[in-house]
Parts: sequence; C-alpha cells; structure tokens
Amino acid sequence: MAMQNKNTNPTFYLLMICLIVMSLGPILLMLATSFKTNVDVYDVSVGSFFFTPTIRNYESVLCNVLWYEPSHVDYCDPTFGRALGNSLFIAIISTGITLVLGTMAAYALVRFKFIGQSTVSMTTLLMRMVPPAVLLVPVFGIWTFQFGLDGTYAGIILIYTAMNLPFVIWILQSFIVQVPIQLEEAAKMDGAGSMQILFLVVMPIIKPGLAAAAIFTFRIVWNEFLLGNALLDRNTRTVPVTIVNSITEYDIDWGVIMATGMLLAIPPLIFTFLASKQIITGMTAGAVKG
Amino acid sequence: MPIIELKNLVKRYGSFKVLHGINLKMVENEFTVFVGPSGCGKSTTLRMIAGLETVTAGDITINGNSIINLEPKSRDLAMVFQDYALYPHMNVAKNMSFALRLQRAPKAEIKQKVEAVAETLGLTDFLHRKPGELSGGQRQRVAIGRALIRDSGTFLFDEPLSNLDAKLRGKMRAELALMHQRVNKNMIYVTHDQIEAMTLADRIVVMHGGHIQQHGSPQELFNEPCNKFVAGFLGSPPMNFLDGDVISKNGVVCVEGDGFIVAVSDEKGKALNEQKSKQITIGVRPSDLTYSEEKQALSNFALRVVVSEYIGTQSVLLTKCFTQDVSVELKSDQILPKNKILNFTALADKVHLFDRVTEIAI
Repeated sequence: MAMQNKNTNPTFYLLMICLIVMSLGPILLMLATSFKTNVDVYDVSVGSFFFTPTIRNYESVLCNVLWYEPSHVDYCDPTFGRALGNSLFIAIISTGITLVLGTMAAYALVRFKFIGQSTVSMTTLLMRMVPPAVLLVPVFGIWTFQFGLDGTYAGIILIYTAMNLPFVIWILQSFIVQVPIQLEEAAKMDGAGSMQILFLVVMPIIKPGLAAAAIFTFRIVWNEFLLGNALLDRNTRTVPVTIVNSITEYDIDWGVIMATGMLLAIPPLIFTFLASKQIITGMTAGAVKG
Repeated sequence: MPIIELKNLVKRYGSFKVLHGINLKMVENEFTVFVGPSGCGKSTTLRMIAGLETVTAGDITINGNSIINLEPKSRDLAMVFQDYALYPHMNVAKNMSFALRLQRAPKAEIKQKVEAVAETLGLTDFLHRKPGELSGGQRQRVAIGRALIRDSGTFLFDEPLSNLDAKLRGKMRAELALMHQRVNKNMIYVTHDQIEAMTLADRIVVMHGGHIQQHGSPQELFNEPCNKFVAGFLGSPPMNFLDGDVISKNGVVCVEGDGFIVAVSDEKGKALNEQKSKQITIGVRPSDLTYSEEKQALSNFALRVVVSEYIGTQSVLLTKCFTQDVSVELKSDQILPKNKILNFTALADKVHLFDRVTEIAI
C-alpha cells in the first residue's frame, strides 16, 4: 500500500534504482559487449554503450548451426554450438531423472511407514550441506579410475542427479503431505496400484511443486562449473566450462565469450517461463471438502 | 449379489482395541447402515471391508471366501468417501471413468457407460467441468457416479452426506434410496445420523465402543431396543429416561420415581418380578406422552413445561419431571401453559424398562 502513497520518501526510489542498476547493469554490459568487435572491447575511447554494433560474435558462436557461412569466419569452431547442445541435453535429462526419482523417494518418505523414516528424511537434507568442491576430488577419482565414467554424459548426469536429489526430495515432501490421503484411497478403490497412484493421481496434483523443483534443478545443473570442468572432455563439455576454457594465454575473445554468455542465459529463461506457468495455486480445489 | 460376512472381526491400533469381535452377516441386496457416535468403530469396520485398513484378527468373507488378504481392487467393491475425494486435475467424465481406464476398457464402452451414469445422476451438462467448479451436491453425485460406473457387487458409503447442508442432505437421501431400489446391490453405509439410518436402512447396525449393540430392521430397533444406548440413540427427539423403583400397587406392578408412576404390561411385570435388581430406568419416547386433564392413577407424569419449541405441525416441550429433563412431542395446536405442573400419561406397552446398572432392556 505504501506504493500508492504519493508522498513516498525519495530515498525509496533511490534505493530501487540502485538495486535495478546492480542487478541489470552487468547483464546490459554483457549484452553491449557481445555486439562489439574485439578491437572495440580493448579500445578505451569506445564507450560502453555507444559503438557500431555487429553480430559477428554471434555468427562465430553459432557458425556451425547457421544456414549461411559468415564471411568473416575462416575456420568454423564447432565448440560453442556443441557445448550448447551438451548443456541442454545434460540439464534436461538430469532434471527429468531427478524429478522422477525425487518424487518417488519423497512419496515413500511421506506415505510409507518404515523404521528410520524420519532419520532418512533428515539425512537427505544433510547431504546438501556438503559443498560440491568437497565432492570434487573423490568423485573425480572414483568416476575416472573405478568406473571409467569420466568424459561421459552418464557420469555427469549421475553426479548432478545425486547432487540435486536431496533438495528436490525435501521440497516435494512438503507438497505430497498436502495431497489428501482420501484421494489415494479412492484411487486404490478404483483399482490403481502404487505406481499408478503416484503417477496418475499424486504427480498431477503436486505439479506446482514439481515445477519449482524443476526450475531449481535445471538452473543449478545449467550453471554448474566445478564438476563439469573436472569430469567432462572436449566432446561433452557444457557451456560454462567451454567459456572458461576459451580463455587462453594467447587470446581472450571477449566478444565471443559475452555472446555465448547471452545465449547461455536464454534456455533457463524459457524453461523458467514454461515451468512457472505450472505454478498455479488451488490445484486441489474441489478434491475434498474444506 | 455377494453375501458379506464379518466373523469375529478385531481391530487394534497398537495396544488400543477399536473393534472387539464383530459378527455380522449381510444378506443379498441389503441396505445395511452402521450407525453410532464418533469413535464407535463403524468407519473402521467399513474401511476394513474396503481393504483400506488391515484386519488384526477375525475374518471377512464374501460368498464364503476370505478377502482379508486381497487388494481393494480385487474385492468387487466401490466406495463413496465422506469428503468426495474427487481427482482435482480430471474433469467429471475422467473422474468417473478412472477405474475403467485403469482396466483399459474399450473407449466406446467407457463413453457409453459415462453417459449412462451421468444421465441417471443428472450430470450430463457437467461432464467437462473440473470438481473445483461444482457445488457440494454435484461433487457428491460425481463421487457416487464414480462408484456406480464400476458395476461392483457392493457399494460402500462412508458418511457420504455429512458435508451437505440440511436441505440437500434430505434430497440426496431420497436419491440414494431410489438408487438402491433401481440398482439392487448390496449397500453398506456408515453414518452418525440416526435419521439417515432409519430412512435408508433395511438393516441398522448400532455400534458403540467397538461392539455391535443391536442389529435389525429400523422398526425392530425403534420398537424393541435391546438396551438403553440403542433406545436413546434412535429416534428424534431422543427417548426420555427416568429412574424409578419397582413397586406393587393394588396388585399391579408399577415403576415409581420422583414425579411419576407408571404401570407396566403384564409380560414385563413378570419379567420385572424375576429380576433381582429393583432399580429400574424407564424409557418413554416424547411422542408417546400425551396430556391428560385428570391425573391417571396408574400412569401419570407430573411435568412442568419450561420451554416450548415450535417446529411446525409438532411442538417439542422441554419439561422438568421433578429434577429430571423430559421432552414431550405434541401437536402444535395443543397449547399448554408454562411453569405449571401438568399431568401427562403414557400407554403401558409404550414404556421401555431398563436395568439401571446393566442398562439392558427388560
């Protein structure tokens, strides 16, 4: 209601502007830089936002997926296009697996009575408290020398799934608890088995929870660098790893890096937009009285 | 249609015993109503029949075969839940056809059955609505439709009308009675509302404290309750109970207490004489008490009217018989003065007698 007050304190607006600049500034700067030639980037006399824009950087990044051959590119480096594909593949698959396993685990923890139920429930959260950096060395050792999973999609998807499962289980538990038990009993009377109850009745009802968990998982996987850097090889590298690897001692092509960064930001935006459409309240309206 | 039998059914939660050995046989096409106060074990019994609760001891048989180790879906039952339990993400048609779709029934058959059931329940116009867009009565009808479509031998109802308002409840009650005539299946119905039990049941099973108190037709239970609990539970307004002692007056066996004397029928008099304890509680239904100008020597209740509740054709008078509360149901055109001691009388065979200690009918 304070917003409607015409005599709002000017410091309020000042604070708002500061916050907006702080959050949008880097992104705008990145966007601007992605349209600059490498010469302009290093030229102090060229302003941050006032220059002759070019889409050459984007052409370089996407050269192997474009329908035409950009004139300025003499050798088309497929790394960035491939990395984008890798990132999408790894993020989507591991998000999918995490959600399915997470829902099943959360459902079991909420609905089935077994010894150590609450302990297991707590322990899943405990796993979250280990920073990925701590995992890095043992995971690298085991993945490489014991299982030979280094450089494979399976290896990285496995560790990403393991990393995100605890939190997803934890989020989904609170959603599953709210599903009226009568619905499951009704489904049982209608002849549904445990799996059918889970996938046909419970899952559609906890859609908002699944969407929240999906956004969360997707973004963590999308942005992950440490494990990706250690475990992936040149064919399976994700975008964040590729960007860092493109900084060499001979050349740093800032324009291309920024263009990749901008492209990197698009999929999570689309994904979040799509997933958040599922977050609508009142999913259980009309299920039971009350 | 199947014959369901409960044999010495026991349910225990940890060390707490909820059901103490229930024995009951439900015959074909019978509308059985389990009635009792909350916590009497009636819902637990129903849920055990449904397969939603495990059986601690005893057996449930359908046509002589034990079902206690079967999954709910293999028991040939359909159930309507108290709070509807409709799938919120499916429309009415999908809700009703869920069971059929799980069985992978042909699409044409599903469509035809859904339409037929929707027709009988008046839901044809709502088939594409989600449960959230329906009123309470419509939701309840969808829940019933979901049970009907399965064509099971037995229907289970767990207090299906308790969430509806009074008017709708009356209407749905009539619809259920009609449905029972039409579909001719076993129905097992749980309620705490004795009016529902009386109006719907072929057989009422009164439960209290995990025991069956009495079972039989509504008339049997109303006219010949086996104990004080059953007598007080069925009938509205409830039966009046007054404590008194057995005396003999002019050779007639009577029960006398503070403010009343009532002669008992010969048959009951004999039973009373054989009875050791002479401490008796009498029970009289409010509608069996009538006003009399004269004081009757052998059946007289001296009542002081405190409040008169006008209901319409009938009025219920809340009165005091000395210190005990007594309610009387009279025609409304009979206006009686308040706060004056008046004489009422009751027919001897309308007076129920109970042992005051054991509460068993004499």
